[in-house]
Amino acid sequence: MKFLLYIFRNVIRNKLRSLLTVLAIWICMALMTFLYGFLESQKVWSKEAEKHNRVVVMNIQGFAAPLTVRMLDDVRDTKEVVSATPYSWFGGLYLNEPFSFAQFGVDPETVFDVWNDFDIPADQLAAFKDKSNRQACVCDRKLAEKYGWTVGEHIRLKGAIYNVDLDLTLTGIFDPPQEVLSLWYKLEYLDEELKRKESSLQGNVGIIYLRAKSAGAVPELMTRIDDHFSNSEHPTKTQTEGAFAQMFVKMLGNVQNFILFIGVFVTASLTLVAANAMAMSMRERTMEIAVLKAIGFRSEVVLAMLLGEAIIIATVGGLFGVGLGRVLYSMAHNTATQFFPLDSMPWPVMVYGLLVSAGIGFGSGIVPAVMAARMSVVDGLRRVV
Amino acid sequence: MIPVKYNLRSLRIRWVTTLLTALFTGLLVCASVFVFGLVDGLMNAFNVSSDELKLIVLRNGATEEIGSQIDGARARELGSVLESEGIATDSKGRVMSSPEQLTILTKPRRGDTIAVNLGVRGVSDMGPSLRPGFEIVKGRMFEPGKYEAITSPSIAERFQNCGLGEELTINNRPFRIVGLFKASGSVAESEVWTPVADLQAARKTPNFITSVVMMARDEAAKQRLIARIEDDEQFGLEVKDEKEYFQEQVKAVAVIRGIGYGLAMFLSIGAMFGAANTMYAAVAGRAREIGTLRALGFSRFSVLMSFLFESIALCLLGGIVGCLGTLPFNGMSSGTSISFNEVTFSFNFGPRVLLQGALLALTLGLLGGLFPAIRAVRMNIVRALREV
Repeated sequence: MKFLLYIFRNVIRNKLRSLLTVLAIWICMALMTFLYGFLESQKVWSKEAEKHNRVVVMNIQGFAAPLTVRMLDDVRDTKEVVSATPYSWFGGLYLNEPFSFAQFGVDPETVFDVWNDFDIPADQLAAFKDKSNRQACVCDRKLAEKYGWTVGEHIRLKGAIYNVDLDLTLTGIFDPPQEVLSLWYKLEYLDEELKRKESSLQGNVGIIYLRAKSAGAVPELMTRIDDHFSNSEHPTKTQTEGAFAQMFVKMLGNVQNFILFIGVFVTASLTLVAANAMAMSMRERTMEIAVLKAIGFRSEVVLAMLLGEAIIIATVGGLFGVGLGRVLYSMAHNTATQFFPLDSMPWPVMVYGLLVSAGIGFGSGIVPAVMAARMSVVDGLRRVV
Repeated sequence: MIPVKYNLRSLRIRWVTTLLTALFTGLLVCASVFVFGLVDGLMNAFNVSSDELKLIVLRNGATEEIGSQIDGARARELGSVLESEGIATDSKGRVMSSPEQLTILTKPRRGDTIAVNLGVRGVSDMGPSLRPGFEIVKGRMFEPGKYEAITSPSIAERFQNCGLGEELTINNRPFRIVGLFKASGSVAESEVWTPVADLQAARKTPNFITSVVMMARDEAAKQRLIARIEDDEQFGLEVKDEKEYFQEQVKAVAVIRGIGYGLAMFLSIGAMFGAANTMYAAVAGRAREIGTLRALGFSRFSVLMSFLFESIALCLLGGIVGCLGTLPFNGMSSGTSISFNEVTFSFNFGPRVLLQGALLALTLGLLGGLFPAIRAVRMNIVRALREV
């Protein structure tokens, strides 16, 4: 490794050139790390979801069609179902801003049995379950922090899908393993308001979330539920929580192919940027390389030194790029948690980013380095630059 | 002024560097233009959808068709009640008002198992006439009462069971796809159409209408219609100008546009550093030439302009390569979900998008070449001339 110093000296010899190459790789790799982090975190998220044996039941016609309260009872009576809750999207406006956060109507008695991995203090849970307070609601810590809510806060949601406004009181704050930015209110409250207005949308539980006894029971359970409802007024489509989560990513369209496409272009382009810089360096150092060979350095050693130089430059760029990509991901997580569910980027993405950077270095250095290593000593010494 | 020929020849002499630089700027410009084309295509789907004289009637308080609900009898009445207020009539003298039911199913795309949203619209006889440029391009129009459906070639290609002759199941009732239609690239091409009565029967939602689409005779008639519907408490309905209605949806596109432009910006900055590298090398390698030019009496300004021009020419070359690279994808259709509704769009690499790409390349060349050109200008003549 005695050549390391020599390689390093060469890296910083033309500081401006190396800096520009590093900057180009830095900025583009940051983007790629961010995009792949987005893709990968979706996969990790749905895999994570499979652990809790949660299953989602929805109307075969999709979100626009209802599931009834009676169906919820049927689901609860199904074998191997531990607990089930309605989960009804309200989509209301808070402070008149649309899409501020997700609001779901749930059954307070069962919702924390379905999400048994979510922590809530016992007294706050009791307050949420308290039947005398139909306007009670709970939310996760991240959401409470975002709006500076404390227990007892009054939250008013303006209905957009429903012709009803909700006047809620925060009675508890829960801690999920991953931030969800959601508020849960009592579906009963919404339904009473809808009945009062004689709305035809009453009696709809939205979708049903349930927890199965064991992972092994899940596949059979899903067919049992779908078979049960197949000839009823509302046939169902039952899937695991992970598959359900994936649906939302798939809806964005060919995002995966699109990101891959951009990735290939960027990698190819960066290799050319770095190769261009390397080629320029080699040309300037033709005589020097010839001298190295003349005093007895073998071609392979010269090749390795030149390749090492290219790889070091690209990897340094990649290192900063992955770092910035990670920072960008965290920022995105804080603003759009629903699309960036993990609070830190999965590490395989970062390792992959570094490997790609090193690969860019290798790819960029190979042609100029081989040409330099193959060059005859006499030619090199004679060449005037 | 230093002749342009000088720069072009310099680019040719250092052809390896020129080629590499043009290629990498080309690739990055290509990726950016691809993003621009996507955004443009998406905006286009909404823009051609809106018609100045078209109105959409929804339940009072509803912002979208999904979530709106109108009694079927009232919806049918609306046409005849309001005819005198100025709803247009077609060539056969029929009132151009169409009660429709929109629902969103979840169906898998081809080659996938996970279902995504797919809009199915039950339309009345008037439905097609209310969509500009509507035409059946393959197969035939559906016949009411037979559980038949039509859709766009793009949906047919991308969704399972939506191809011509295939059967799409709606609430366990199969609908045979008998025709493919186009509607000048509007959002109608993102939907499957069936006769409204058949959809109501299959979904067991008789008398359920989500919206009434109608065409006003002229601008004055449009205003009259809006006033009449909104003032009438008995209707309990809300009416939206179609343009206004789509404007709401375009807001969601704005987010995609923001992301796309952010992406292009990152790529451009990367390309800019690469271009700067090439130009710095060009300046360093040609110190003697620059010294000679200055000694011959060319001003600092002309040297600056000369190098800036060279940089721009280099990047524009790349930009052209990049723009040409996207052309094979022109018109390629894709889909995405906007406010929970699948929207089909075609990539559009029209003159505007290509101009954006060229402008991007120009900016790259300008910014990437600026600092190297300044370095060239600041060179000491005597020292530059002495340089080997």
